[in-house]
Order: sequence, then C-alpha cells, then structure tokens
Amino acid sequence: MLSRVVLSAAATAAPSLKNAAFLGPGVLQATRTFHTGQPHLVPVPPLPEYGGKVRYGLIPEEFFQFLYPKTGPYVLGTGLILYALSKEIYVISAETFTALSVLGVMVYGIKKYGPFVADFADKLNEQKLAQLEEAKQASIQHIQNAIDTEKSQQALVQKRHYLFDVQRNNIAMALEVTYRERLYRVYKEVKNRLDYHISVQNMMRRKEQEHMINWVEKHVVQSISTQQEKETIAKCIADLKLLAKKAQAQPVM
Amino acid sequence: MNENLFASFIAPTILGLPAAVLIILFPPLLIPTSKYLINNRLITTQQWLIKLTSKQMMTMHNTKGRTWSLMLVSLIIFIATTNLLGLLPYSFTPTTQLSMNLAMAIPLWAGAVITGFRSKIKNALAHFLPQGTPTPLIPMLVIIETISLLIQPMALAVRLTANITAGHLLMHLIGSATLAMSTINLPSTLIIFTILILLTILEIAVALIQAYVFTLLVSLYLHDNT
Repeated sequence: MLSRVVLSAAATAAPSLKNAAFLGPGVLQATRTFHTGQPHLVPVPPLPEYGGKVRYGLIPEEFFQFLYPKTGPYVLGTGLILYALSKEIYVISAETFTALSVLGVMVYGIKKYGPFVADFADKLNEQKLAQLEEAKQASIQHIQNAIDTEKSQQALVQKRHYLFDVQRNNIAMALEVTYRERLYRVYKEVKNRLDYHISVQNMMRRKEQEHMINWVEKHVVQSISTQQEKETIAKCIADLKLLAKKAQAQPVM
Repeated sequence: MNENLFASFIAPTILGLPAAVLIILFPPLLIPTSKYLINNRLITTQQWLIKLTSKQMMTMHNTKGRTWSLMLVSLIIFIATTNLLGLLPYSFTPTTQLSMNLAMAIPLWAGAVITGFRSKIKNALAHFLPQGTPTPLIPMLVIIETISLLIQPMALAVRLTANITAGHLLMHLIGSATLAMSTINLPSTLIIFTILILLTILEIAVALIQAYVFTLLVSLYLHDNT
C-alpha cells in the first residue's frame, strides 16, 4: 500500500513518469509476502493478462507512439545506423558477421518454433487447471451420487407396503392349508371308527349264518337212519342201470 | 589482429572496476521465480525444463546423493545460460576463464571424493584397482588410477574452458575471414558465411552439451562416492 502511495506521488511529481504506472501492479504482486505481519487491508490489484506490446521484440510500442507526432521512428533509426556506420562509431569487424549469424539463427528459431513452445506452455498450464477442475468435478459427482442413492432409498421406503401385503398373503395361505389338512385328518379318523363298527356288524352276521348252517346240517345228518340210507342207495343203483341202457342205444362218434 | 582476436576474453572492466561480477550475476535475472500455480509462458517452460533435467539427473543417485540435487541442477542451469549468453555479439563469457572453471570444478570434485572417503573408505579405495588385473601389474595400476583420480578436477575445468574458448575463437576467425573476403570475392563470402551459420548452430549445441557434460561428470563422481 505504501508503494502505491509512493507511485502515485511520483506520478504527480513527474508527469512524464505517468507511463510507469503500469509497473505498479507487478511490483505490488512481486513484493507480496504471505503470513508475515498485517495483511493488506485493500485487495491487491490483479496483474494484467498481457504485457506491453513490443515491436521487433525489443522496442516498446510507446516509443513509436511517442515519436510519431515529431518524426518517423524508422527514419530516425535508419539515420542513426547510417550515421554510426559512416562515422565509424560502429566499426564493421569480424564480430559483425558473428553477430549477423547468431542473430539470424535466433530469429529463425524463434519464428519457426515460437508458436509451438507457446502452445506447449499453454497446454501445461491447462493440464494443471484441468487436474484441479477434475478433482472438483469428482467431488461434486460423488456428492451427487450420494444424493441420488438417498433419494432412491426414500422412494423404496414408499413402496414397502407391497412387501408387507405379499407376506400377509403368504401367511394367510399357510393358515388355510394347515386348516384343510387338519380337517381331512379329522374326516379320516371318523371314517375309520365308523368302518370299524360296520365290519364288526358284518362279522357278527356271518358268524350267526355259519352257525345256523352247521346246526341244520348236523341235525339233518343225525336224522338220516340206516334203513333209509340202504333204500336210497338201492334206488340210485337201479336209476343208474336204466340210464346205462339208454345211453348204450346211441352210437359213440 | 592478434590483439583483436583475444580481446573478447579479457576480463571486462568499467572504469577500472571489475564488471565480471555483474556479468556472472546476470543470468539468474533471466530465470524468474513465482509463487503462483499458473504462470506466464516463460516461467512455465523454464519450470518444466528444470523439472525434466532434475528428474533425469537425480534418478540414479541414492538418498545421500540426492542431497546434492540443488547444487547439480543450479550448476547445469548456470553453465548453460552463461554459455548461451556468451554467444551474443560483444558479450563476455565467464566460463572462458580457467580461474572460474577451476573454482567450480575443484570444490565439487573434492566434495565428492571426501564424502566417499568419510563414509565408505573401503569402497572409495577400491576404485583404485579395477577388477581382474593380473598380479604383477597391480603397483603400476594403482599409481595410474591415483593419477587419473587426481586429474579429474583439472580435466573438468580445462575441458569446459577449452571447448568454449575454442568455439568463440573459431567464430571470430571465420567472421574475420568473411570480412576479408567480402572485399575480394563475393560468392566465396557467401560460402564462408554459410560455414559461419553452421558453426553458430554447433556452438549453441556445444554450449548446452558442455553444461550437461560437466554436470554429468560431477554427478558420476558423486555416484561413485555415495
């Protein structure tokens, strides 16, 4: 801040130095120290993006603008060079040709590879910025993913009742199945008992029938006397003889 | 002519004060520092170059050798910028003076050797005898190896001085040849001028290579001794 005061004071004192105001931001930025003592109370002015324009890489543009109202700068330059050469203020020596070759090679190199180097430097800076940007984007993306996951979880919570309905249905079905199973078992047990009673009744009747038949047979056999038996046998033999005669009458094929 | 030939190698004085100090201190002004992440193109390219060279040079050293990385990287940058600036017309190159090169070479070499002798004395002494020498040759070989070790700083300094000085002298001579021929025969002037241009390209290469060689050798001596 003090340096800015000094510069403005110098500008007012010497108006020709006003063009030096462009040095202000550069000096302020370069002499800035971090974390020592009091910080600046005012924001430090930002650096200009492009430096002052120069012609032929050496002579600033302001020099040409300064000269134009008075004299042509190229005429002035040519005049000075010719004056130096003719008065042998500048002697053409071996060094002249060395200078010509060195400067020629330098100009050729700069013209040919200048843009390439400039693009390369720009690319390096862009890579640095892209890395930082990528970190920032990755962090944003991560948080966005977390938000989306949270939202989908919330939506899932809304649909939980489907799950509960399905479970309820399952339990109802299981209860129904158990009920029917037990009903069937009861039916089978009852039928079993009734079948038992029926089969007991059938058996009793069959036993009574057999007993009756045996009793009747026994008494009939007892009632047949010996005499009756002989008479019956003799009649059977007489019948058989009669049948034998009848039978003989027919030829046998 | 003779006086003019070596005129560019006199230590320059301004009103009797040595300007060589100012000339030696000038190259760091061309390598700005910056505390920002994104810089202008000059700083970005310079930082990229420095990162590249330092990585290339220091990978072969162990932890102890890497403590020298600041020294070696600043060495190569200093020699490279000084040599390249010396190619400009009417400039003075400090590395053409043997005194400066000796002042650079002897402390660096001595530092490397003394580090080796302090830490691993057996390894350091073992450099004096290559593997697999027949027994009768051993005394002679030890003497030869000692001489080769003691000559290393001299070789470093004299190599750099001789290369740069020879290059400058050659450019000066061919420049004066062009000057002389320009009044006699113009086409041959053009031929000689072409030779001068080729020589300039060579000089640029030599400037960079010498810096590299100097630093590489110092780092080699360091590698042997850590």
